[in-house]
Amino acid sequence: MSSHFSQLCSPSDMDLNLNAPHSMGTTIIGVTYDGGVVLGADSRTSTGLYVANRASDKITELTDNVYLCRSGSAADSQTVSDYVRHFLDQHIIQLGQPATVKVAANLVRLLSYNNKNMLETGLIVGGWDKHEGGQIFAVPLGGTILQQPFAIGGSGSSYLYGFFDQAWKEGMTKDEAEKFVVKAVSLAMARDGASGGVVRTVIINSEGVTRNFYPPEDLPLWLEELEPVNSYLDVLASSSPEPMSS
Amino acid sequence: MRSCSIPCRSREQIASVSETSRTSNLVSLRRTNLAFGMDPSAIDAKGGFSFDLCRRNAMLMEKGVQPPSFRKTGTTIVGLIFKDGVILGADTRATEGPIVCDKNCEKIHYMAPNIYCCGAGTAADTEAVTEMVSSQLQLHRYATGRESLVVTALTMLKSHLFSYQGHVSAALVLGGVDVTGPHLHTIYPHGSTDTLPFATMGSGSLAAMAVFEAKYREGLTREEGINLVTEAVCSGIFNDLGSGSNVDVCVITKGHKEYLRNHRMPNPRTYVSSKGFSFAKGQTEILSSKVTLLKERVVAIEGDEMEE
Amino acid sequence: MSIFEYNGSAVVAMVGKNCFALASDRRLGVQLQTLATDFQKIYKIHDKLYVGLSGLATDAQTLYQRLVFRHKLYQLREERGIKPETFASLVSALLYEKRFGPYFCQPVIAGLGEDDKPFICTMDSIGAKELAKDFVVAGTASESLYGACESMYKPDMEPEELFETVSQALLASVDRDCLSGWGGHVFIVTPSQVIERTLKARMD
Repeated sequence: MSSHFSQLCSPSDMDLNLNAPHSMGTTIIGVTYDGGVVLGADSRTSTGLYVANRASDKITELTDNVYLCRSGSAADSQTVSDYVRHFLDQHIIQLGQPATVKVAANLVRLLSYNNKNMLETGLIVGGWDKHEGGQIFAVPLGGTILQQPFAIGGSGSSYLYGFFDQAWKEGMTKDEAEKFVVKAVSLAMARDGASGGVVRTVIINSEGVTRNFYPPEDLPLWLEELEPVNSYLDVLASSSPEPMSS
Repeated sequence: MRSCSIPCRSREQIASVSETSRTSNLVSLRRTNLAFGMDPSAIDAKGGFSFDLCRRNAMLMEKGVQPPSFRKTGTTIVGLIFKDGVILGADTRATEGPIVCDKNCEKIHYMAPNIYCCGAGTAADTEAVTEMVSSQLQLHRYATGRESLVVTALTMLKSHLFSYQGHVSAALVLGGVDVTGPHLHTIYPHGSTDTLPFATMGSGSLAAMAVFEAKYREGLTREEGINLVTEAVCSGIFNDLGSGSNVDVCVITKGHKEYLRNHRMPNPRTYVSSKGFSFAKGQTEILSSKVTLLKERVVAIEGDEMEE
Repeated sequence: MSIFEYNGSAVVAMVGKNCFALASDRRLGVQLQTLATDFQKIYKIHDKLYVGLSGLATDAQTLYQRLVFRHKLYQLREERGIKPETFASLVSALLYEKRFGPYFCQPVIAGLGEDDKPFICTMDSIGAKELAKDFVVAGTASESLYGACESMYKPDMEPEELFETVSQALLASVDRDCLSGWGGHVFIVTPSQVIERTLKARMD
């Protein structure tokens, strides 16, 4: 970390944020519930210490009924998801019916595994199909595939294992599951410097897909956090200069 | 600078990536539709890179010779979406190490009549990659008879950059208006892309982003948009050493575009001597002189040959 | 040591009124040892198009041979000389082809285009074009050349005045660079004639 910072301070180093790979220190979550799945992610994309995008969408659509949570290198995960989407679209045309989550997850695995020397990305596939209902598959770094009732990934996930072991229950309702996901992502965002921004969720079930968006002011506050503000210029304009000096 | 100091091992890795040895069972993540194989013959090469000096250059590096520095555009490039379309902005300084080698270069590149692209990073790379994709887009338009889409340009750029794994160091802000509306994207050298309402890139991106974060809002008018873009680029020009000189702006709206070259010139030359230098004729000592008349192709020799 | 400092060079091109000047030093060395003081760094492509090649001499000569080859092919196909703008793109493409294993050579291209409009251009070793209206420089003395040209250049100079200016800029600059100098070589190209002169310079 300190070496990065000294680069940032050096005036002759003109490309600190150009040459650092664009990666997503991330919190991504997939949870099954009674009747479907909820996917959740933060929205921070960083290059080194710089937040390159504070409102990115890390939950990518693969087909109408399958979505993908991406973590790790942004370039790698986007490329994998683009290829999988391409293959799934062909597959759907050939099959004449929606793809299953299993097929989608296996394509993700195939690309991750075959190119594992070149890729640096961990992915979570989640979706719903009429054969097996809501399913979550985790495809971590080496290209393993793991079907799980819930999966967590990205740098923020280390702060969540204990929480999930304690708080995850089988057979949650949709609302319980989404609340749980939002709470988990916001907890990770509070502790993990590489995660932040807003929380995005995607709910997939027999009725279709719902996308939700939780801006910082709608998230619970942890660890004596300050109230989020949209712009620090608002803080400057307010009568008390205190928030900036603390 | 950093991008050129690739150790020889990774050079050979690039070489092997460019041969088709890395294709996996199902699909190689490399782009396969362009022939990036290498053809040693000089003329009928179909394009793509040639690696035949890599070994020699690696040998020189091993002997302690420093690799050369390439022309970089330590840059401020920005873009935003306004009420009726997209505005792109850029500074005009090109640098080579600490030397300013071009005080008024163009960093907003043409991609298609409705799409432009700002480039930062190694100058040769941004130039080449935008030129290459714009010619592919032109051919695509001939084939389809339709206006190019911004996502088409985006996909072509990102797949090229991804296939070179960040070694082609071009950081781009791509903007345009097509049938699906206005679009603004950023593309990083490794091939990742973002879609944003306002974006900055280059060494001055932090300075410019500070301005955008403070003042950007939805539904800006054209006038407000141009002013905000100019302000953001100026913030880069004055606060980032790698950026400087003038502000170029490009406004793209539906069916119309306006390239405002040197829209603002905040750094005029103030040190011109009113008289300038003038040298008396014949002041410089000449050893030999040869005049060749061009039309008649007559050669007349003056003066005396002192050397050779 | 940078590879560009192996042989040493100074090349400068300047635009005048309907004419241009292209000048170089004449030293060829191996680091601090001087091997020759009559080394050619400016090459003719055709009557109104010249290229100065700075950097590693071996690469400069190889590149020159490839440029001549490509220009001859162009002449055979088009039955005319190449335009300076087109030639600059050709050089740029040849250099960028070797993006990951470049020629250690920085070219300066100067020519009279259509209607005898002067064109000057330089590139880095991987073909990033820099089109300037006034002057371009390259080589180990480039830093001093930037300064000298920046102050000495005036727009719309006549050929003789241009010669004096470019020569003085070159001589002043190579005096502050140990790797280049030992004489100068200047081409002044106007629509009707080419003046080629060698300059006397310090020999230290």
